[in-house]
Amino acid sequence: MSAKSVTGSKVLSVSLLASVSALAAPAIALAEEEGGGGIGLLIPKMGEFLPALVAFLVLLLILGKFGWPIIVGALDKRAAQIKDDLEKAEANRIETERILAEHKAQLDEARVEAAQIIADAKSTGEAVKSEITAKAQQEAENMIAKANQAIEAQKKQAIAELQGSVADISASVAGRLIGHDLTDAEHLKLIERYVAEAGSLDAN
Amino acid sequence: MGVLSDLPEHINELLEDLGGGPVIGSGDSWFYISQYTIWMLIAAVVLLVIVFAAKKRMALVPQGRFVNAVEYVVEFIRRDVGEGVIGHGYEKHLPLLLTIFFFIVINNIIGLIPGCKPGTGTMGVTFALALVVFIYFNWFGIKQQGLGTYIKNIGPAGVILPLFLLIWCIELVSLFLRLITLAVRLFANMYAGHIVMGTFAILTTLFLTPLITSFSAGALGTATASIGWMLLLVAMYLMECLVAVIQAYVFTLLTAVYISLARGH
Repeated sequence: MSAKSVTGSKVLSVSLLASVSALAAPAIALAEEEGGGGIGLLIPKMGEFLPALVAFLVLLLILGKFGWPIIVGALDKRAAQIKDDLEKAEANRIETERILAEHKAQLDEARVEAAQIIADAKSTGEAVKSEITAKAQQEAENMIAKANQAIEAQKKQAIAELQGSVADISASVAGRLIGHDLTDAEHLKLIERYVAEAGSLDAN
Repeated sequence: MGVLSDLPEHINELLEDLGGGPVIGSGDSWFYISQYTIWMLIAAVVLLVIVFAAKKRMALVPQGRFVNAVEYVVEFIRRDVGEGVIGHGYEKHLPLLLTIFFFIVINNIIGLIPGCKPGTGTMGVTFALALVVFIYFNWFGIKQQGLGTYIKNIGPAGVILPLFLLIWCIELVSLFLRLITLAVRLFANMYAGHIVMGTFAILTTLFLTPLITSFSAGALGTATASIGWMLLLVAMYLMECLVAVIQAYVFTLLTAVYISLARGH
């Protein structure tokens, strides 16, 4: 671990120092022992131990009561708040997605409905249009037929009237030409003669 | 070799200085206040100020680098050391772990300021810390398992009786050694680090002195060597910055390990 490597380099430095000291003078080692070095260093001095013990216990008491719990509590509170917020955000996200999906479905439904309505309207319109057209055609045909009938009837009547009046007029014209009215026997003779002439004409 | 003739004298001065002689009273009397005690007390006050300043500024939305830094360290000790090592029920040990870590790290860092001494640079202080931890985890173990079970559990389970007794004795010694190793490890790291830094500083000065007293080609050559010592000093100083934090971490981590071991199974 890093602690180990640090200690390792420290050992290196100390050995470097030792070699320098050895070069300088052997007096150091002696002086060290005189100056309370060596094992004496490892014996705790009461004068340092007691104040340290008391100071540390007092620190532990004060910080353990009024320091750390408040800081740790605040950190916990923050963590709880963040967790809560995240959970709420997640719940909100899910709810929003649900609502969005719902709205999408509704929109799709509305769209389909609208399309249906338009299609229905179109087909109804088409039907009405063709019905109206058919009716109009029928009526027109009927009117034409009636008109034709009326024309036919009037034509027939006109022909009949014309025929009657032609015969009368020709009879009267012939009578006036001849100067007298033809008797039936004469009339017959005239027609026969006419037919014979017509027949001879045909023979030619 | 001329420049090095003064070295023993300077080293002795350094060692005497690192001895942290008494400010009030004398080293022979039962109670005296040494420089280490004063720096330790200063560190304690700094710790109180830091914690209460951070506590005052704690808010739901974190504000400022200072509070963030304190929070980060608290979270680190809590998650990595507390939760990671002790696991279930670590919360009630947090005050001890946090106080130990912050106390040691502040002491160590104050010791890095030139002219200051680390409160942890003497056995008196580190032994006091180790003793608190030692009593704490043993008391916790006894409370958890009961005195009889705790003493019995010092040895391994499922071993034949003679072997059990043998291992129990070894384990008992190792248990008490924890008290010493905890104290010595921290003290030795701080003490040795400061000796090495002090020596490099002395060497830098020694190699530079001839140049200051009288300028000559030889003195200039010697002075260039002091650049090397200076670089070593800087490198050592940087490493001591690491050691200051690492040793605080190691002490706290071992405290957590001992607590978790004392809990039993």
